[in-house]
Amino acid sequence: MLRVQNLTKVYPNGTQALKNVSFEVKDGEFLVVIGLSGSGKSTLLRCINRLIDPTEGKIYWDDQDVTAASPAELLRIRRNIGMVFQQFNLVKRSSVMTNVLSGRLGYANPWLSLLGIWSPADRERALKALGRVGIADKANSRADALSGGQQQRVGIARALMQEPRIVLADEPVASLDPVLSHSILQYLEQLNKEGITVLCSLHFLDLVHRYATRVIALKDGLLVFEGLPDEINRAKFKEIYGEEAQEVRAASFEAPV
Amino acid sequence: MKNRPPVWRIVLTTILIAVGVAILGFSTRVSQIDFIRLFRDAPKAKALVTSFLTPDLTTRDLQTTTIEMPFPIPCGSAPNGTPIKSGPRLSTSVPCAAAKDSFTLEGFNLAPNAQIAIRWNIPKKGKLTLPYVTTDASGHFSAQLDAKQIAVTVDGTSSSIQVDSLVPVGNLKVSQSVKDVLEAMFVTIFMALLSTTVATIIAIPLSFLAASNITRRGAVGTTAYYITRSFFNIIRSYDPLVMATVFAFWLGFGPFPGTLALTVVTTASLGKMFSEAVENIDPGPIEALQATGSNRLQTVVYSVVPQIVPDFVSYIIYHWDINVRISTVIGFVGGGGIGYYLSTQINSMIGYHKAGTAIWAIVAVVWAMDFLSAEVRKRLA
Repeated sequence: MLRVQNLTKVYPNGTQALKNVSFEVKDGEFLVVIGLSGSGKSTLLRCINRLIDPTEGKIYWDDQDVTAASPAELLRIRRNIGMVFQQFNLVKRSSVMTNVLSGRLGYANPWLSLLGIWSPADRERALKALGRVGIADKANSRADALSGGQQQRVGIARALMQEPRIVLADEPVASLDPVLSHSILQYLEQLNKEGITVLCSLHFLDLVHRYATRVIALKDGLLVFEGLPDEINRAKFKEIYGEEAQEVRAASFEAPV
Repeated sequence: MKNRPPVWRIVLTTILIAVGVAILGFSTRVSQIDFIRLFRDAPKAKALVTSFLTPDLTTRDLQTTTIEMPFPIPCGSAPNGTPIKSGPRLSTSVPCAAAKDSFTLEGFNLAPNAQIAIRWNIPKKGKLTLPYVTTDASGHFSAQLDAKQIAVTVDGTSSSIQVDSLVPVGNLKVSQSVKDVLEAMFVTIFMALLSTTVATIIAIPLSFLAASNITRRGAVGTTAYYITRSFFNIIRSYDPLVMATVFAFWLGFGPFPGTLALTVVTTASLGKMFSEAVENIDPGPIEALQATGSNRLQTVVYSVVPQIVPDFVSYIIYHWDINVRISTVIGFVGGGGIGYYLSTQINSMIGYHKAGTAIWAIVAVVWAMDFLSAEVRKRLA
């Protein structure tokens, strides 16, 4: 269970990215964050594992205060929180295998890992993770030789290496075309069904309706909506995205089943 | 009327053009441009270029035949030489001369087309070698000599003129200058290698300090960033040649000061380039690895290092390549290696063929390094 209390983030240049945001993520949820670009979604996700330090407010992960964690504790907390990024954030020149193994660094022997030495168990685990996202055959390719969709799957495999209890997904499909969007979100949905909590920011309303179990919405750093996906109708959508917004459907076609 | 530019505009443009022409004219005067000399002195250049184009590559063993004749300066200070009538012999236009007089020395029946070394054997002072001459097909040569003050008779013993005819015998061999050039070239290449290696070792940690995305956090980080950055920029503004002159003044001539100068300049140059490579990396992977719970060192090794290694290797090879070139020039100011050899030969006035050998060696090595470094960098891209 993740609890966010009165979270506020002010950047050094004065931008107020988050204003007093509070919400909870229950275990097993697929919670989607929606909102315009710049509404604070990315900042919110990065505050949870403290890639960005919040200015005020508390974050509790299983009643442990993440915001007050010491550097060593923080590393252990981060181990349990997988993260998937819009730009995949793979090391392009490294092999897929190395990229996936790097998700295990929080568990590996620090000195051996610096030399690039990995236990057979970890290698096995990496191959299995790649197998789960269907690209075990790409293990020895360079990461930048893969297509965008495949790279995002490597990103998911890397997160899986952490044996995470929650996955933070920062617009995981914003750089992909609509068909691939469904394929990637289905992997996240699969993980969610296996018991991993998912906290995911998305842009497209049809994707929200299709995958979310619950939705929160941010507007200019404020939490403006919290509820079920069905409650977001056209009016609500205009409220969140502004009067001029037109709903763009991710795809006018059905998700591949 | 409307389409015409205003008068002041025309005047201003005219003045600007006039000033520009005046400045150019003045610079021509200052740099003592004299195109006529370019043609008048062409024969000198031709001789030089010819020597350079015929490098000293091969040699044969030389058999030396020596003839000597006494030549008293001034007359009567010692017995004159007895003239020989036949066979290989020397003859002078006068049997003796006063100091500073000129006379003609001729040789007859010597080896045909042979190099002739003419020397003064000066009592108690040693030998004075004059420029080489060559005999014609009949073994005859003639040379204008000065009766030098230094060659005057001492205690009744006169100086003598010694003529060595050098006749090549046996098979062609690699000449001594090729061996010397190879040796000097090795010195140069390894000077460049050593200075590049040491510079790399120093530059890597410094470059991280000078990378704003790594260091520029907090007061300490920002200070370190500006200090290293300024250090790089200040050192880089010194030409390697200037640096080498400073070190040569401090440590004397030889490869050591040259290597030091190269190291210092290369450290700054590599450090700057490295730090820019570090600044240009994609920050995404760093963020991703922090999110996995890996520690700072693991994050750097797994996200920063793979991104910078190709650039770093490419810069290192590139610097080795240019350092070979620079160390050639540094040799001229006493940095040792092939440049020093080249400058010695050119300054000696008689070593132009040897200088030619060195120049060809430099061309070959620079070309090879250029090719190699381009190939390796292409592979890394």
